[in-house]
Amino acid sequence: MFDSIRLYETFINRVNPLSKILMATLLFVTVLLIHNPNTLLYFLLFNLILLIILSGIKPQYILALLGAIFISGILSSTYMILYGQGDTTLYRLGIIHISQESLIRGIHVAMRGVILSLFGALIIFTTRITDIFYALMIHLKLPPKYAYSFMAAIRMVPLIISEYMQLRQAKKVRAPLINKKYVTGFAAVKSTIITLLSQSIRRSYRLSIAMESKGFSNNKRSFYRETSFSRLDLYFFLLLLISLLISIYLSQHCFIFNTNDARSI
Amino acid sequence: MNQKLSLSLTDILVTVVIALIFAVIYSLWDGVYTILQPFGLHLNELVYGMWFIAAIVAYLIIRKPGVALIAEFAAASGETIVLLQFDISLIIYGIVQGLVCEIVFMLFRYNNTKVYTAIIAGVVAAVSTLPLDWYYGYLGQVETWNLILMFSLRILSGALLAGYLGHQLYRGVKETGVLKYVGRRHEDSYES
Repeated sequence: MFDSIRLYETFINRVNPLSKILMATLLFVTVLLIHNPNTLLYFLLFNLILLIILSGIKPQYILALLGAIFISGILSSTYMILYGQGDTTLYRLGIIHISQESLIRGIHVAMRGVILSLFGALIIFTTRITDIFYALMIHLKLPPKYAYSFMAAIRMVPLIISEYMQLRQAKKVRAPLINKKYVTGFAAVKSTIITLLSQSIRRSYRLSIAMESKGFSNNKRSFYRETSFSRLDLYFFLLLLISLLISIYLSQHCFIFNTNDARSI
Repeated sequence: MNQKLSLSLTDILVTVVIALIFAVIYSLWDGVYTILQPFGLHLNELVYGMWFIAAIVAYLIIRKPGVALIAEFAAASGETIVLLQFDISLIIYGIVQGLVCEIVFMLFRYNNTKVYTAIIAGVVAAVSTLPLDWYYGYLGQVETWNLILMFSLRILSGALLAGYLGHQLYRGVKETGVLKYVGRRHEDSYES
């Protein structure tokens, strides 16, 4: 999927997709359990380095993505920074009350989001999406009708997008002739979505009939691509574990935030 | 009964395709939500409900067990693909929202397509985000009035954007006549 913007492949590309999903889930739980902003900051830096080195994507794309991740991370914690409880006031304007406590908590929440996004980006860049479904079928015995539905549906997305473009152009051409509310505004959005939905339902109905008539069923089957577990999965896990441990160690010795716990400052 | 309610390939395929259309909308919606955030006063919560709509529309169209969960999961994971971030928290939120919608629809025995069913599902989905957000975003440490405002807006949005709008979309699709191919054959309830 990202072959055109990839510079090199790393061992992460060969890690089993299921291990990656499992590690992402573990990471989510871990990040929820970390209450020390210092630990989170060091862990964020490690994840940043992992993404830059191991994704193998051209730097300009990584930079653009990083910009988006950091901006949305900061914005997502404005509610805490502006309205959080706290005693040491830094700034007050009407109902807005920024305190030292709420600022640190806000940054903490933002860092949680950023870490998950960084790791998520690493996974997306190094995994073929079809491999995830093959892995689910092979290792977890997911019924093929679910997996192939997903794969077929993903293939349809570009079709749906081009259909949307067509619809937009058609509306543009006919703009002087039809009621204005179908060109701009809520009714236009609604009619567009309904058209796309009904077309897609018709198309997926046809596709499923075609698949079934060619003998698609839940019988035992062989797979075009095989996925397997290897030592690389373990290495990847250890890499994350070690960076977490180093982060915890560093946070005990070099403080950046003057606190150990974002909940009680 | 069992035979009638089990998911066929057509059902799953239709559900996932619907979900992926909403996944594209979800990721565009992410921009709307982000832009509204700095204004404070939780104006952004007014658009939050859109993220429950896939489960509701898919259920109204297919009316079988499991559809709401699959739809919401597919929409959430589709969104992570479109946004180029495999964000496990998004997927977990999606699964929780799909699951609670599923429970609501189960209580209606999967054959109610009236608008209030959709609205109840939207409201319940909005409420279900509270425990997750509470822990993830340290909501206990936000001023109380602010928290109440945040969740009333979110629940309102769940009712309007997910419930009412979802039902409107369903009626629109129904009028086009494509629904005679998909979903449950016997229709024992009609839309309001």
